[in-house]
Amino acid sequence: MSTILVNTLTGTGNAGSIVVTGEGNSTTTNLQQGLAKQWGRINQDTPAILDSFNSSSLTDIGTGTHRFVFTNNMGNANYACSGMAQAEAVARGTQYTNSSNNSTSLVERIDIEDGGTRDAGNSATITCGDLA
Amino acid sequence: MASILKVDTITGVSTAGSIAVTGEGNSTTTNLQQGLAKVWINFDGQSTIATRDSHNSSSISDDGTGQYTTSYTSNMASVSYAASGSHNRNGLSSTTFSNDSSWAATTSGIASITADSTNTGRDCDAVLISILGDLA
Repeated sequence: MSTILVNTLTGTGNAGSIVVTGEGNSTTTNLQQGLAKQWGRINQDTPAILDSFNSSSLTDIGTGTHRFVFTNNMGNANYACSGMAQAEAVARGTQYTNSSNNSTSLVERIDIEDGGTRDAGNSATITCGDLA
Repeated sequence: MASILKVDTITGVSTAGSIAVTGEGNSTTTNLQQGLAKVWINFDGQSTIATRDSHNSSSISDDGTGQYTTSYTSNMASVSYAASGSHNRNGLSSTTFSNDSSWAATTSGIASITADSTNTGRDCDAVLISILGDLA
């Protein structure tokens, strides 16, 4: 058993890059690139952030369409975010899409099958990518 | 007192691929390796498909309209990993992201489709995928 007590991890050769041995003990992955950089669970009806990480605010920009603003910005707009939304009483398909993402914020939109959007009582977003 | 560990590689002592990390509530632990996303990618799925940014993705292939395969640099240990994705709406009346009908996930890659409400594949200019699970 070996325990390290530490508050901050930083790479030596590259401060923002630390290699981690994978579960199978045969390959490696990257600590920083593997960490989720943002997540948020929201109520779109209110709207309100129920819990979140690296999310400074939430803005209602239309029915079923909300913008998360990051606390620490991403390095660019080319990150990967995905999520889910509560179907509630809506029998039609509920889809999570996104648009207008940039390095300082992302937009989650809850679409329904007829082409409209709707507010979901519960929806969640997870973002992976590179921090600035 | 601030404590900073400067290190380039982290490996478990008892098991190289398993390191415990104390959780946010200070009472439980989680696993560093299992908590890391092993793949993420943002790619343009229209015309000549192209990766904008990614982690642990060696290539993407165009398998048909709205159908793509993302291949990994370091393989997963099994096919039982968790994949999620989203896409831009792309002006369609309705779209959905799902794995293809045969759940074509392998240890070396995953097939996905972006489709409209009639289950017809549609190309999207932003397809975003994240995968968590165990590396080989």
